Amino acid sequence: MAQIPGRLNEYDPGEFRARFKILLLIVLVALSLLLIRLWYLQVIKGEELRARSENNSVRLRKIKSARGLIMDRNRQVLVDNQPSFDILFIPNRTKDVRDVISKLERLYAERSLQYDMDLTQLKRQASFMPVKLEKAVTREKLAVVETHALELPGVMIDVVPVRKYFYGESLAQILGYIGEISPEELEHDTSGCFAGDLIGKFGIEKYLDPYLRGINGAEQVEVNVVGKEVRVIGRIEPVAGYNVMLTIDAQLQKVAADALGNRAGAVAVMDPRDGAILALVSSPSFDPNLFNGRISFHDWERIAKDPEHPMENRTITGLYPPGSTYKLVVAAAALQEDLIRPDTSILCRGTFDLGNRTYRCWQKKGHGMVNLHRAIVESCDVYFYNLGKMIGVDKLAWYAGQFGFGAPTGIDLPRERAGLIPTKAWKLAKLKEPWQMGETISLAIGQGFNLVTPLQLVNAYSTLANGGTLWRPRIIQRIETQDGRVLRDFDPEIKGRLPLSEKNMELLRQGFWGAVNEGGGTGYALKRLGTDVCGKTGTAQVVGLPEDERARKMMRISAQQRDHALFVCFAPCGYDRRPEIAVAVIVEHAGHGGAVAAPIARKVIDAYFESKKTLVNKQSPVGIGS
Amino acid sequence: MKFDRRLIYHFDWTLLILVLLISFIGLVNIYSAGFRSFAGQENLYIRQAQWIVLGLLFMGVAFSIDYRLISHYAYIILGVSVILLLVVLLFGYATRGSQRWILMGGFSFQPSELVKLTIILALARYFDDHRSGTAYRLRELLVPFLIVLIPFLFIIRQPDLGTALILLILFVSMVFFAGIQWHSLLISLATAVVLLPLGWHFLRDYQKDRILTFFNHERDPLGTGYHIIQSMIAVGSGGILGKGFLKGTQTQLKFLPEQQTDFVFSVFAEEWGFLGCLVLIVLFLTLILWGLKIAVHSRDYLGTLISFGITMIIFWEVFINIGMVLAVLPVVGIPLPFLSYGGSAMVVLLAAVGLLMNVSMRRFLLQP
Repeated sequence: MAQIPGRLNEYDPGEFRARFKILLLIVLVALSLLLIRLWYLQVIKGEELRARSENNSVRLRKIKSARGLIMDRNRQVLVDNQPSFDILFIPNRTKDVRDVISKLERLYAERSLQYDMDLTQLKRQASFMPVKLEKAVTREKLAVVETHALELPGVMIDVVPVRKYFYGESLAQILGYIGEISPEELEHDTSGCFAGDLIGKFGIEKYLDPYLRGINGAEQVEVNVVGKEVRVIGRIEPVAGYNVMLTIDAQLQKVAADALGNRAGAVAVMDPRDGAILALVSSPSFDPNLFNGRISFHDWERIAKDPEHPMENRTITGLYPPGSTYKLVVAAAALQEDLIRPDTSILCRGTFDLGNRTYRCWQKKGHGMVNLHRAIVESCDVYFYNLGKMIGVDKLAWYAGQFGFGAPTGIDLPRERAGLIPTKAWKLAKLKEPWQMGETISLAIGQGFNLVTPLQLVNAYSTLANGGTLWRPRIIQRIETQDGRVLRDFDPEIKGRLPLSEKNMELLRQGFWGAVNEGGGTGYALKRLGTDVCGKTGTAQVVGLPEDERARKMMRISAQQRDHALFVCFAPCGYDRRPEIAVAVIVEHAGHGGAVAAPIARKVIDAYFESKKTLVNKQSPVGIGS
Repeated sequence: MKFDRRLIYHFDWTLLILVLLISFIGLVNIYSAGFRSFAGQENLYIRQAQWIVLGLLFMGVAFSIDYRLISHYAYIILGVSVILLLVVLLFGYATRGSQRWILMGGFSFQPSELVKLTIILALARYFDDHRSGTAYRLRELLVPFLIVLIPFLFIIRQPDLGTALILLILFVSMVFFAGIQWHSLLISLATAVVLLPLGWHFLRDYQKDRILTFFNHERDPLGTGYHIIQSMIAVGSGGILGKGFLKGTQTQLKFLPEQQTDFVFSVFAEEWGFLGCLVLIVLFLTLILWGLKIAVHSRDYLGTLISFGITMIIFWEVFINIGMVLAVLPVVGIPLPFLSYGGSAMVVLLAAVGLLMNVSMRRFLLQP
């Protein structure tokens, strides 16, 4: 048996009774001492220490991470961060809050500075939390607060990085803007945001917010009675957001925006070779720099309630009847379905009769005998009424779908709309009415239920331009880290292929070439030597299709009801030339496409080839002959 | 080995309930202290609950095996734990300038906590083996002194002044209890007084700072005195009834340092006030008195020594920790038993309570 220690027979706890008693005494005295001390601290000095706890001058300060930059395809910076100054106030730093506020107001008034302090937060928040009195103050105010710091306990200056949008209005709807996270957004947030954090609210700023935002750091700082920081106790470094490179060409964007001017409308420019968006202009626009926290209620009202909707990106949310630009789809369907041959001719007398209704050609006196080529060149409506009747609405809708109409293009921007390409089933389901043949006739020249976005238009024509590839338009090229390491490159993405033979596509391209370059072409205004442009004008009627010409003229009196001017084109065209640029222009209520929209497209195309020329000149080695 | 039904009959439910109650208070308090903290610390109370469960398992092991059998291996157990201390010094990882942890699997372990318990076992074994009936003389205390000195030096090297101090106090308590001759006591006291200034030089600057600050809190209100002042403000601002659960502004504003570990009592005091503190201290007192009762009623001297040592550890840690928070004692890093966040301490404490139960439930058994 193992020897187990312990000597029971010798054991007598009595020997230790005295020591136990001493120990008991020590324990009791020690714990009583603690209780007495607690009584002293919590009961006798409790009030005093509670008051001190409320004045405690240590606080946690957030270090905002630097938001990522946004650049264009040539690394031109479109958005960066610049310091802005806020005035904060911590109510519990002073006994008399009103006094400090009125003192500050008096200081402003003495220098006749405008002020607009937000005092609503003062009541709502706990007294030890800083309240934002004024955002984005001027240097003058900064000087006032700094020099009178001693008289203004609790008032302090906070440096906040603010977004600077260098291209202002011209890129406003694309880049979007940022703002403080709203209570609703905060509720649904899963990324660890706090109240007061700035997040993307619109456009790319919103779409790529998780990349641009970065991670906030924090600092535990101690401040003295005057609110001056004494030392930093702890610090967690912030992580800067990623930079974003867009496919946009800022120069081209600016040219397009200037060309459109203050007219309501949109310009979409795309590279047909890979679906990269070169420019997306929507007008009217707004200045995103106004949203840098300094937006006044008045400005906000003005922008948000403008009947022209400046915040809407018309290139992806604006829905327009395509007008004659839709003849692309109709001609393609008729050719591919073998309903016509290129030389099939139709006599246009200026009218087309269906049942007891008469449909007019835009050319009152008629075009005479026209084949497909001339019908496209001269945009003969009667020719296309006949095609529409032959094709039928559902077949037409299928071809429209192949060109990317009726569905979102999938561009990497939020809130894109699908547009509408009607079918018989759609009308029955939606309007509970059977389809009328007359409606197909209207569709054939792009009127009726048809609705497309400018981006869909440019994408459809790009598809013809590049030989049948339907791209997903891209506006984001690359996401990279602050030190330039590529995090993600966005490659071209094919959405579909046109079900058209190469021969038919060439026929169509020749037609659109003629529309610009041949005598009698509707886009003749665009004819220019050197860069051969293929294109199609369009005039989209805003109100139905009145048969009576006088009634139509009456309606034009009201600007709101005038037709939209459209023009879609691509260049360069011709044998062995690959189109590099496609442009869609819509000018709202502006009248005829050839007169108003085509010149805008002209400027964009000229600017594109001009900058390309200088680029080539710069790059080509000089002095080959020497 | 034959199982004895009387063991169940004599199981110490009072002790178990007391400890569970205090641990639960600790858990609630850590939830409050960790509330609204930085990311990554938010689940501290869940971790602590997991540690309690693990500790209860060790407690079960500790009361199942007869303490005399455990004591048989006391020196081996001490040896293993001291080797672990050595491992920490050589391979351990450091946080906040002190190397106290070894990583095992996914979690870290602090051998210095374990050493507290193994030293009690070793000292109890020694004094039980070398019982003379008269008070010990200095020469006879040399071996127990060495038993404590080796881990003491290792721990001071880490540096972990608090745990080292606890070991020393534990040794003094056990020696006092076992009995020491008057003149030996005087000689050791004299030696201590002579060695004290010498020891001062071995202290690190921050340790010296803490001690100096203790004598004058406002000496450096933004430096070392900061903890003490803020801690006093937190405790005092609790008043009689406290600010209420999760309402402590000092705590919620995150300026109290080490608030889940060494300063956890200030969180409790701020939120629950004097009444809450009174309840907690009475609970601790009951636990300590219960431990002493177990020591008195043990069936043998070994049991008395073990339960006495464990009770003393709890008492001294409670007293020094709360005393530090209340600025009655200088700041030394000693956790508050069952309340401070810390896995190793919690598991070792619950295992120690298991040993108390072990002695308690075997008090009716005769020599097998």
